[in-house]
Amino acid sequence: MNKAYPVALAILVILLAAFPCIGPEVYYLSFMFSVFMYVILASSWNFIGGYGGYLSFGHAAFFGIGAFATAKLATMLQLPPMLTMLASIPAGGIAALVALIVGYPCLKIRGPYFSVVTLCFAFVVDLAVKNIEFLGGAEGLWLKFMDIPEKTSRTIMYEVMLLLMVVTLAVSWFLGRSRFGTGLTAIRSDEEVAETMAIPTAKLKIQAFVLSAFFPGVAGGLFAYYLGYIHADAVFSINISILIVLMAMFGGGGTWLGPIIGAVILTVVNEGLSTFAQAEIARIIYGALFIVVTIFMPNGIMDFFRKKGGKT
Amino acid sequence: MLSVENITVCYGQMKALQGVSLEISQGDMVALIGANGSGKSTLMNVISGMIQAVSGEIIWEGRPLKGLSPDNICQAGIIQVPEGRKLFPGMTVEENIIMGAYHPNVRRQAPESLQKVFSTFPRLADRRRQFAGSLSGGEQQMVALGRALMAKPRLLMLDEPSLGLAPKAAAEIFMIIKELNKEGMTILLVSQEVLETLSITTYGYVLENGIMALKGPSRELRENPKVKTSYLGL
Ligand SMILES: Nc1ncnc2c1ncn2[C@@H]1O[C@H](COP(=O)(O)OP(=O)(O)OP(=O)(O)O)[C@@H](O)[C@H]1O
Ligand SMILES: [Mg+2]
Repeated sequence: MNKAYPVALAILVILLAAFPCIGPEVYYLSFMFSVFMYVILASSWNFIGGYGGYLSFGHAAFFGIGAFATAKLATMLQLPPMLTMLASIPAGGIAALVALIVGYPCLKIRGPYFSVVTLCFAFVVDLAVKNIEFLGGAEGLWLKFMDIPEKTSRTIMYEVMLLLMVVTLAVSWFLGRSRFGTGLTAIRSDEEVAETMAIPTAKLKIQAFVLSAFFPGVAGGLFAYYLGYIHADAVFSINISILIVLMAMFGGGGTWLGPIIGAVILTVVNEGLSTFAQAEIARIIYGALFIVVTIFMPNGIMDFFRKKGGKT
Repeated sequence: MLSVENITVCYGQMKALQGVSLEISQGDMVALIGANGSGKSTLMNVISGMIQAVSGEIIWEGRPLKGLSPDNICQAGIIQVPEGRKLFPGMTVEENIIMGAYHPNVRRQAPESLQKVFSTFPRLADRRRQFAGSLSGGEQQMVALGRALMAKPRLLMLDEPSLGLAPKAAAEIFMIIKELNKEGMTILLVSQEVLETLSITTYGYVLENGIMALKGPSRELRENPKVKTSYLGL
């Protein structure tokens, strides 16, 4: 590994952290906020989906659980606005706990069946939240805003999400280089062979799944706080789950950089489309993109271009 | 070193092993032979913890293995090369071999172990970047052996290492196994090549329908009339 690499990354993080100092418009802060958020979602999905090869189509469920748990914790405990953000950490823990319970039976199922089961899980959670009065039901929940200018609050949110992204990416980095990551790669390559090699597959899968649920849980809490109002449609949408998978696969699952690149590119594309095109057209383009990526770049855009570069 | 005592294994209603016992001492190479379906793989899987026995005990270096997971048994030094080679086809030769050093107590020595494996199997060193799925059967078996050696076994269990190999490749594999044993490795060898197996091992066991039918020094088994007719086709 090149020594310049970590240094360049550190400089990039510092530059990103200093970005609000040059006084950008709030729009750009919000945009970057969602880029960071999607990087977190795609990279955490990658723990189980990329390294482990278990394609979850229910990742948004953990995001939503984190959002609702934060909103509920904040109102129940009467937290002052600033502390509400901290409540997203235990909310991430709640998401991880749900993953532990759900993952135990679900991770015994392999391949497309696992994807379908996680998809159903996301639907069930969505429906449950919409029908439980305690969680706001069909109306949703309100959170208290910070009593400060919008720009300051947006800057704070920006920095906090950046911090969470750095932590997520650090975990992803170490995971990729650890024994744990090696075991997950073995599971992705061939779970039966991994089993005959006495790799504790069941344990590794559940650990990866729980870890991958924690980060979207925290991000969901921050997002709820950022919106100030939370509704099931905003966080449990199946589109978010699909988008996460698309981002990670588009960049290249099972690598550290892949989901980052995928999340950045697709958030930019998404933003461009929603500014310049109608929502329906945006969806069609997204769907088409998903098909193109799966057919032509099964290992993601990075691998695609690396191979092209290698041939010439 | 290893003693299997009175093991019984059931698959549902069917008894695959019935009161089977077996002894291996340090530095030995022991043969396990028997017809198809007689329970040879089952016995190995019980020792490695992949299958739970209904009754009986397995003692490894003075301690019972009961309740240990395959993972723990692997770390205790019992390494199995399962039937049918079982590599990761999408990984390279080198990646496959390194995967053998997954367990924490051998992970640190992985680079040296890898060098040693490549010097044992020079053919693999030339193909280290090739995908395992594209290797010949004999080469795949070498990868499987190399991967097992990465885990620093104290007991190496080989399940039909010459399965599906041409005579020349099989002979090469047997040569290597013999060599490993000479260097001090304790080995339990299952093979259909009965004559070959009984000539390189010191002691042998014969399984018949889940029951240990015969045992004795390999040289004597080779002369046993029953073995001669049933397994040597003489
Ligand atoms: N997972 C399983 N479920 C049910 N029955 C099994 C299972 N594995 C093996 N058996 C049965 O147990 C018996 C012993 O099988 P085993 O694989 O141990 O035989 P073997 O001696 O290794 O045979 P071979 O020489 O063909 O490899 C066979 O009758 C087999 O059908
Ligand atoms: Mg067998």
